[in-house]
Amino acid sequence: MISIVTILIAIIFPVAVHAIDSAQLLMKVDRNLNPESYESYRKLINIEPDGRKKEFVLFIIKKGQDKVTALFISPASEKGRSTLRLGDNMWLYIPNVGKPIRITSLQSVVGGVFNNSDILRLDYATEYNVEHMEEMDSSYLLYLKAKTKTVAYDKLKMWVDKETILPIKIECLTEASMLIKTIYFKKIKDFGGGIIRPSIIETDSPLYKDYKSVIIFAKVKRREFNDEVFTLTFMPNVGSLR
Amino acid sequence: MKLLMILLSLLIFFSEIAIAQEEYAFDISEIEKKPYHIGGYIELRPVLFILDKDSSLYKLRFYNRNEGNTVEEYNFTIQLDGSYEKGIFKLYTKINTDFQESYLGWSEETDLYEGYLSLKPSPSLTLEMGKKTLKWGKGYAWNPIAFVDRIKDPDDPELPLEGYIVASADYIKSFDGFLKTFSFTPVLVPVYDHTNSDFGRIDHLNFAGKLYFLLYDTDIDCIFLGGGSKTTRYGIDFSRNITTNFEIHGEFALFNEYKKVFINRAGSIFTTEYDATSYLIGVRYLTSLDTTYIVEYYHNGTGFSKSAMKDYFSFIDRGYNLYHSSGDDSLLKMASHVTKENYGRMNPMRDYLYLRISQKEPFNILYLTPAITGIFNIKDKSFFISSELLYNAITNLELRLKTTFIIGDTDTEYGEKQNDYRVELRVRYYF
Repeated sequence: MISIVTILIAIIFPVAVHAIDSAQLLMKVDRNLNPESYESYRKLINIEPDGRKKEFVLFIIKKGQDKVTALFISPASEKGRSTLRLGDNMWLYIPNVGKPIRITSLQSVVGGVFNNSDILRLDYATEYNVEHMEEMDSSYLLYLKAKTKTVAYDKLKMWVDKETILPIKIECLTEASMLIKTIYFKKIKDFGGGIIRPSIIETDSPLYKDYKSVIIFAKVKRREFNDEVFTLTFMPNVGSLR
Repeated sequence: MKLLMILLSLLIFFSEIAIAQEEYAFDISEIEKKPYHIGGYIELRPVLFILDKDSSLYKLRFYNRNEGNTVEEYNFTIQLDGSYEKGIFKLYTKINTDFQESYLGWSEETDLYEGYLSLKPSPSLTLEMGKKTLKWGKGYAWNPIAFVDRIKDPDDPELPLEGYIVASADYIKSFDGFLKTFSFTPVLVPVYDHTNSDFGRIDHLNFAGKLYFLLYDTDIDCIFLGGGSKTTRYGIDFSRNITTNFEIHGEFALFNEYKKVFINRAGSIFTTEYDATSYLIGVRYLTSLDTTYIVEYYHNGTGFSKSAMKDYFSFIDRGYNLYHSSGDDSLLKMASHVTKENYGRMNPMRDYLYLRISQKEPFNILYLTPAITGIFNIKDKSFFISSELLYNAITNLELRLKTTFIIGDTDTEYGEKQNDYRVELRVRYYF
């Protein structure tokens, strides 16, 4: 009887059932990319059209739905800088300036194609709703819409591999559907502890023609943190967590 | 020959693979944490000043010398910072050495900017003792509530500052709900003969503190300082993002029984005592084209009125005329004496407006940031405006070219500065 009702509901309200599936799929993508609380190291490389590169190495920690912080390890000019995101609040701490200042998600702390929200990214499901989903041969295409105006990109088009439930490509769009950047997920790697995810993310942008940015992941592992670590007062001490 | 071609092709093929692999290399040694760290920067900063020979401050500084219409200054700075970490202990030090070649000759000054021991028994608690900067306040150009810091230069607010010897603690507590974070920072500031003697009156143990709240997504600090070296003072600040690209901040400070020293045009020195209030309100706005605007209004309740500044400039002129008629520089020496800590401090008057417009990577030129900065004295309508180009395309190398125009009528703050223009190149290499 219950299954007949379920089938009837599915026939009458196919969109609602579909929305639940796609939302769950997005949450699965999030969990496959990272544990809910983890630490990782990332190398950001800005590659210019002539091949010149600028590299940044960061230590990144995340806890729960809305807490993430990043510490610059190199180069020397950036060493000791840290950025903190607590929900919609973002701060930047520069050792010479000596106090955290509020920053916005669209601002770039490293220059080039990356902005703060690329570095301090929360779970996709935290920031986006799935508007609809298309099923293709080997992938799903999710159309995501930002839950609030505070999110850096208003819309995302996310291609998800059916087999691994990991993103293959994401297009970041404005409200008017203008393409800001495209993110490509490459080279799936086993980081241990059940974390198998892309180890390289490439980004290009029509706004920065012929420029490319790459993020390489290392030492991604589960780790629990105290909430106090994700506070403005703790920002100068993030390095002690390494 | 064919073999050679094949070998060459293979060599090119493998070298391309090697390059491709190298492009994405992430050597684990890059993230290995060492217990010690040594870093810092070296900086070369030549400056050209175009003098305003009619200004009061030119007369005060150059009355007994003729340096022509321009003076050059060559600054060379080495800043070293190092740390050693073991368990819950961390030792940190920052030493700054400035070498300067100017019209006054060669000089060298080395200062310990910071040097403290930090103890972190838990993420909620940090104890620190030694010389450090606290940098309280939310303002970009000014911080009237930074009671335990030296005054920063609003023309270059991100320059490192020398700290004071303090003992401090940070206690942090996080919550779920509208109050997300609370922290308490008590600070002891000893002021004795050889300890923080430039902070205020000596032989006092001062107590300062900061309560921080992240309440409804707003940063709020409540600050106080008491103990005798300075008069008791209280402050409050806030900072909040109204939208993702629009931030608002403010500070309010109350200085109990503030003592102000001033001089009249006859050369008599007076002291007045009153409860002074200073405040600041500012915004930071980022446009979709990556232009950042910072605007701040600052009321300095400890500052001088327009007429008080006019009296001070008139007294300098009187001293200058006396020197030229009789060779007696006693009045100018008296003027120099009251300039220190009073008229000579950063922005000594009452109402200012700060504006900074910076454009990140215009025309998609990566790592270039041009900016225009201005400080306007609202009361006497004098101002300075500077344009700068910051370029940091090469890793660890930062180049900055800055030109400043200083504009104002007679008897105004900027009109009486010793320079009309200033051109400065800063080459800084981090290591």
